[in-house]
Amino acid sequence: MLTDREILSTLEMLKSENLDVRTVTLGINLLDCASHDAEKLKYKIHTRIAHFAEKLVFVCEQIGQKYGIPVVNKRIAVSPIAVVGAAMSSSQLVDVAKTLDAVAEEVNVDFIGGFSALVEKGIARGDRALIEAIPHALTATNRVCASVNVASTRAGINMDAVLFMGKAIKQAAELTSDKDGLACAKLCVFANIPQDIPFMAGAYLGIGEADAVINVGVSGPGVVKKAIDRARQSDSKLDLGQISELIKKTAYKVTRVGELIGREVAERLKIRFGVVDLSLAPTPHVGDSVGEIFQSLGLVSIGVPGTTAALALLNDAVKKGGAFASSRVGGLSGAFIPVSEDLNISKSAREGFIGLDKLEAITSVCSVGLDMVAIPGDTSEDTIAAIIADEMAIGVINHKTTATRLIPVPGKKAGEEAFFGGLLGQATIIPVNNAKGANHFIRHGGLIPAPIHSLMN
Amino acid sequence: MNKAILSVLGKDQPGIVAAVTGVLFAQDCNVENVSQTILQTEFAGIFVFSFSDDLSLEILENELTAKLQPLDLSVHVKLLHHQKRPSTFPESEPFVITTKGPDRKGLVAGITEVMARHGVNITNLQAVFKGGDEPGNNIMIYEVDVPVDLDQKILENELRQRAKELLLEISIQHRNIFEAINRI
Repeated sequence: MLTDREILSTLEMLKSENLDVRTVTLGINLLDCASHDAEKLKYKIHTRIAHFAEKLVFVCEQIGQKYGIPVVNKRIAVSPIAVVGAAMSSSQLVDVAKTLDAVAEEVNVDFIGGFSALVEKGIARGDRALIEAIPHALTATNRVCASVNVASTRAGINMDAVLFMGKAIKQAAELTSDKDGLACAKLCVFANIPQDIPFMAGAYLGIGEADAVINVGVSGPGVVKKAIDRARQSDSKLDLGQISELIKKTAYKVTRVGELIGREVAERLKIRFGVVDLSLAPTPHVGDSVGEIFQSLGLVSIGVPGTTAALALLNDAVKKGGAFASSRVGGLSGAFIPVSEDLNISKSAREGFIGLDKLEAITSVCSVGLDMVAIPGDTSEDTIAAIIADEMAIGVINHKTTATRLIPVPGKKAGEEAFFGGLLGQATIIPVNNAKGANHFIRHGGLIPAPIHSLMN
Repeated sequence: MNKAILSVLGKDQPGIVAAVTGVLFAQDCNVENVSQTILQTEFAGIFVFSFSDDLSLEILENELTAKLQPLDLSVHVKLLHHQKRPSTFPESEPFVITTKGPDRKGLVAGITEVMARHGVNITNLQAVFKGGDEPGNNIMIYEVDVPVDLDQKILENELRQRAKELLLEISIQHRNIFEAINRI
């Protein structure tokens, strides 16, 4: 028998604290679709995805209804297209992206990730073609997401790839200048990319994965915030150790929801269950913000001194609670700080509480990096590459995933607003300081060697 | 061995369970299941027990009444026939249905009429009506078994429709979600 308190507190989490399953992402292995014939390749990709994903949305909705918990997004992640389509030219890969977009629309998923390349140690022919294709592919499609891993703790930082990405980002922004550089919102540059991220834009299915797998991304910043608020109201003398404990317990509950729903979706689709990614992922809605948690913790706004310590506490507690709740934890697992996708962080940027420097600093303790950061349209490709290089260094040296999703908004300056729409939200453009002149350091190219602690064997 | 069930109802006070089980023990009965609850000031308890062939239930009930009546408690004893759960209970899935809304007469009757019509069996019901229009003060929690061959969509639509008529906010969820979230 359940107690009324158990039932009512669960309902509260669902009804007024925005607890949901943020995404169920179906990973589909496309490696054996490879072909020298572009038409054959596209046909095989289309058939494979349509076969596995046919019932994804229907089953997610059915399970969501059974438990009264919405599965907000249904998505697909595929094997890196740079590998699957290694034999293709850049323009042929743009067509492959269109195929992915078409099949995503057909099976009614909102995003499909995996237009990706892994180039942390070197760029192969197929990788080069893919990176060259990214700006056009993301312009010509709506649902395709791209990611490129340019660095890892084991391999170091591929600075040629970093510079290449600076160029690709700049071009992608220009091609979608009528939409404030929207293509860049679908492009992530990574260090230490996990093989099983369910969240976009970084989702792809790793080379070491099975034919198909269900990964789940849970969320729940609203639940964590309300739990902290309630606890502080009933006991104003709570110390940070007790708050950490409280966040742990809340993360446990949130993760259990994801695990339950993910396993059941996997079972119904007869596909193996992969991981729960226990990230606090915000949306541009009131009460569903990571930024608001900082205020509940007692900071004026995210970005003020104390932010890094608060985020370290939050991220660690989320991981500990989540790890206890599920033995299949993976993906990014931590707190996201996507500027435009979080009303509160976006507001902090507008009011000048948080800038690029502080954002970069806090990426050393959060789960991703400079995420959905709008920067002035005249930021040079060298500067963009240099920002990426800094972010990659944090990931490589600290043995963690870091990423950038930078949007140089064409024709707009710092302080102006950029609008991306829907889940991608809107953001005030953040100034990039000290960006004048050529960046000779970046232009050296080559590989920044792997750090000494990569020698673990 | 035979089995019987007894129910005790009356004003709550210390010593009720001790009084009942004291009599049962003296008559060499073995208590198998007990459930008790308190609503406001009133106690309600049911006891399933086994007893030997030479005990008369009538005598037992008289003894219990003699002991419990002075405490303002009424007692009823009934023989249990040897049978498992009847096969008329179809295979089912456990759901939790919760309603909130302004207090008025006929809320439980309204909702349970829909459940009964669809063969939905209530396994536990908690209803708290503090009165007034504050929805949080008037809550009903039904734990129910929904037959698997029932079209759940139809049940859900009818329940939602009925809740709307009664100005209730209703949630219908599989029980597993509450266990997953709250229990280790």
